[in-house]
Amino acid sequence: MKIFSESHKTVFVVDHCPYMAESCRQHVEFDMLVKNRTQGIIPLAPISKSLWTCSVESSMEYCRIMYDIFPFKKLVNFIVSDSGAHVLNSWTQEDQNLQELMAALAAVGPPNPRADPECCSILHGLVAAVETLCKITEYQHEARTLLMENAERVGNRGRIICITNAKSDSHVRMLEDCVQETIHEHNKLAANSDHLMQIQRCELVLIHTYPVGEDSLVSDRPKKELSAVLTSEVHSVRAGRHLATKLNTLVQQHFDLASTTITNIPMKEEQHANTSANYDVELLHHKDAHVDFLKSGDTHLGGSSREGPFKETVTLKWCTPRTNHIELHYCTGAYRISPVDVNSRPSSCLTNFLLNGRSVLLEQPRKSGSKVISHMLSSHGGEIFLHVLSSSRSILEDPPSISEGCGGRVTDYRITDFGEFMRENRLTPFLDPRYKIDGSLEVPLERAKDQLEKHTRYWPMIISQTTIFNMQAVVPLASVIVKESLTEEDVLNCQKTIYNLVDMERKNDPLPISTVGTRGKGPKRDEQYRIMWNELETLVRAHINNSEKHQRVLECLMACRSKPPEEEERKKRGRKREDKEDKSEKAVKDYEQEKSWQDSERLKGILERGKEELAESEIIKDSPDSPEPPNKKPLVEIDETPPVEKSKGPVSLLSLWSNRINTANSRKHQEFAGRLNSVNNRAELYQHLKEENGMETTENGKASRQ
Amino acid sequence: MDDYDKTCLESALVGVCNIVQQEWGGAIPCQVVLVTDGCLGIGRGSLRHSLATHNQRSESNRFPLPFPFPSKLYIMCMANLEELQSTDSLDCLERLIDLNNGEGQIFTIDGPLCLKNVQSMFGKLIDLAYTPFHAILKCGHLTADVQVFPRPEPFVVDEEIDPIPKVINTDLEIVGFIDIADISSPPVLSRHLVLPIALNKEGDEVGTGITDDNEDENSANQIAGKIPNFCVLLHGSLKVEGMVAIVQLGPEWHGMLYSQADSKKKSNLMMSLFEPGPEPLPWLGKMAQLGPISDAKENPYGEDDNKSPFPLQPKNKRSYAQNVTVWIKPSGLQTDVQKILRNARKLPEKTQTFYKELNRLRKAALAFGFLDLLKGVADMLERECTLLPDTAHPDAAFQLTHAAKQLKLASTGASEYAAYDHNVTPLQTDFSGSSTERL
Repeated sequence: MKIFSESHKTVFVVDHCPYMAESCRQHVEFDMLVKNRTQGIIPLAPISKSLWTCSVESSMEYCRIMYDIFPFKKLVNFIVSDSGAHVLNSWTQEDQNLQELMAALAAVGPPNPRADPECCSILHGLVAAVETLCKITEYQHEARTLLMENAERVGNRGRIICITNAKSDSHVRMLEDCVQETIHEHNKLAANSDHLMQIQRCELVLIHTYPVGEDSLVSDRPKKELSAVLTSEVHSVRAGRHLATKLNTLVQQHFDLASTTITNIPMKEEQHANTSANYDVELLHHKDAHVDFLKSGDTHLGGSSREGPFKETVTLKWCTPRTNHIELHYCTGAYRISPVDVNSRPSSCLTNFLLNGRSVLLEQPRKSGSKVISHMLSSHGGEIFLHVLSSSRSILEDPPSISEGCGGRVTDYRITDFGEFMRENRLTPFLDPRYKIDGSLEVPLERAKDQLEKHTRYWPMIISQTTIFNMQAVVPLASVIVKESLTEEDVLNCQKTIYNLVDMERKNDPLPISTVGTRGKGPKRDEQYRIMWNELETLVRAHINNSEKHQRVLECLMACRSKPPEEEERKKRGRKREDKEDKSEKAVKDYEQEKSWQDSERLKGILERGKEELAESEIIKDSPDSPEPPNKKPLVEIDETPPVEKSKGPVSLLSLWSNRINTANSRKHQEFAGRLNSVNNRAELYQHLKEENGMETTENGKASRQ
Repeated sequence: MDDYDKTCLESALVGVCNIVQQEWGGAIPCQVVLVTDGCLGIGRGSLRHSLATHNQRSESNRFPLPFPFPSKLYIMCMANLEELQSTDSLDCLERLIDLNNGEGQIFTIDGPLCLKNVQSMFGKLIDLAYTPFHAILKCGHLTADVQVFPRPEPFVVDEEIDPIPKVINTDLEIVGFIDIADISSPPVLSRHLVLPIALNKEGDEVGTGITDDNEDENSANQIAGKIPNFCVLLHGSLKVEGMVAIVQLGPEWHGMLYSQADSKKKSNLMMSLFEPGPEPLPWLGKMAQLGPISDAKENPYGEDDNKSPFPLQPKNKRSYAQNVTVWIKPSGLQTDVQKILRNARKLPEKTQTFYKELNRLRKAALAFGFLDLLKGVADMLERECTLLPDTAHPDAAFQLTHAAKQLKLASTGASEYAAYDHNVTPLQTDFSGSSTERL
């Protein structure tokens, strides 16, 4: 794919000489008489368009289709030529729309049939076209700036579409020679200029148009290389609809377009609202939307469009959409469309339906008769796209479920909390540039990453790893402490939260620390509060560097929490069952010293694992996607294999084989109990001591009674 | 001799070509491994013959290379380099790779032909083509080691401007979240399974946590299954909330993570890659301009989550959304004239629509230099005026005459009357006060 191909720059040069005021001699009836009123009235005489009108409306139609499908990076410069060249717009993106061009054309007006033909020439326009092709577009400029020393990679190619009335083949040759010479001259100029670019390739498309019924004085000629830079082709076309058809064919060629006809569109009849007939609408789009048909050769060509080499259209059948069901389709491409007949009733019905937010699936009729949904029409922000849906076999057939993989057996993920977290971290566009305090440009996406960093400094993934996030009372503090800066009110709320917790402790309110799966009462109330305070402190400490106000929250917390941790620690030392918690406290302290987050993350792991064994939350929040707890199998059956070989990549055939042999052998003897229960080949000794302390190892939230 | 017991590489490649396209279409990258003894066959159908006639092909018997899908052709020669070099075999095989746009490689055996050396040759292929892609999925401080399958392919954005293929980072950083309805089935380059993996201290993969169905379950996988993993949490929440996570894959390259359900029971964390570039999806705008909602003055999703900042509206409307005027077919012109006429007969009730349609026609006629039409429509309006029934509102005649006069003036092309931006406005009459009220 090349951005700067010939179709990056298109120059229209339209003849505005007196001859173009001539009628195209194709009549248009405009006074269509309505029934019941026809008596005695003679309709007004039909009128006909001038060669100029035909040229202008055909080129506008070319631009309409091009702008619909390529609103960016494909640019048009419109030049009108008579006694001089009138350049109607520039390469800038703001100038690239139909309204601007129409207004400029209206200002030029139709050619003056009484002007002196001797002073008028299409040559003025052609010279201006070459000149304008040397001018750099904003996209070329941007790419050159970006590439720095590789700026020469940015190409400068273009196309000149010239609509004129030539006198003869030799007149055409004269025009070609003139373009050739002008390119040569301007390339010399451009070589010495910073803001001009040399033309590398130029396609000249000369369209000779003449009134219907006259003989053409100019012969058609296919594309021919005139020089290394210039190619030229000549089309001799009758005016009127023939010219429009020619330009429609050209726009398809120039921009690699293809046609799709949507059939079977049910539409309410204007007169009979309760009946509906089926209609067809032809759309143009980039040909890549047909890539699967082109390659597989399974094209189902309707072939109902107009004459010419581009009459091929792929027919796709409308599938009446179900109710607004939001689904993420596997879509391999999305291409903007343009209706061929934009104002016809079927076209506008289809486009309005889509613009109102409905999507339509399209079915590809296959020779075999099987039904395949291959495309989807959908609008996004007022633009309609033809989406290509993947209809071939997926290479990801029957993948393992997430519940079968790492972490898949854990059942108490904080799914709802993380959902809330995701909603808080949704993205929104910031179109106006923002600046940081130091005046540098602020990238909104970097702000989004910063926020995620702050919000995840302390974020336990499972319910049984946390106490504070299971407590409604902590929410006011937890929701604001992650902010970059706090207001006075935020601080006050945090303080209130802390006082509230102190109050709860004084009243000896129960905490949502799990006692499930523990024999006896579980940790004593004061220990529960100690765990809670520790966790809260971890959360607040993670944010003290955000601002001075965060610091104040910590100070409040430290002042209020029940006992100084040192004293606590001393008291607890020696109590065997608190062993693990000591570690966790140490973890918190370690963390205070080194603010490195990666490390604390690891230490937190230790802390969390300790708690996991210690407690199982009373409040099991919903986690709808958590898998079922694993089936308890008789212990002997579990795991008779050695741990997986620590090899990179997939399991080798050898290891599969030796695993098999080992398994077979191991069945012949009773496995050593320690190895059976080992973790990473390490067995914990004296496990019964734990049980005697009223604790039990928990597995997956369920007590394992051995 | 039967065709099937004859070396005929071209038929084999044609067969591969057909099978891949039938099964997977033309977009899925495919690695084709050709195992050969290095003999190219004899006579018709031999590779030498195929290559010799390569330039004389028609569309119907196109040479299968380059494959019509993204591909790598690996040629495994059961022969060592010296043997191959003694004939032109190697040159012919190299031509094959060249014909596949250089995508692929030839492997030969080091040393004598024996099982060990063949194994080592295939070992090299595995290392080159089948190494899993390991990455770290990050969302702030929440992380998980993952394998991305299939391996994401490098991508060339523009062979002229930026010819170096882009490769995705091994750090996959989540930057934020978007609702599925807002991301709206975006086009993607490829999609991949994101499988959490357990790594030991050395960083070697211990397992994917996936327990095999057969009896030899291994303990490491069992344990990995029980350690909380961020992927599982993320997947669960994405599924419940109907959202996707936007993930940064490299500089100006993004993708999305989402939950993909294979069936009612099975679902998975998937990653799709957008096309590299600053603005892969027009309806989201520039990726760099997406920021956290907390930076916005008010929540763009609304307090009750009832609105959305997406899709972004483009500056200019497309032709089908802006009521453009196209008169290429006579029916287009006739419809527009009829609209004016229909409203003319309902004056003064339809004064406003009448003038709106009139001005639309006037503008287009001026732009197209179609002044005869203005004259024609003016004549028509004058005729309508004479046909007004006695019961007609007096204002109707005034408006028709006024409109006809304005069109006539514009049809002269004189700049004071034919200005494109000028709009014909209703004539202020003694009656018009009441008529404008009705609009």
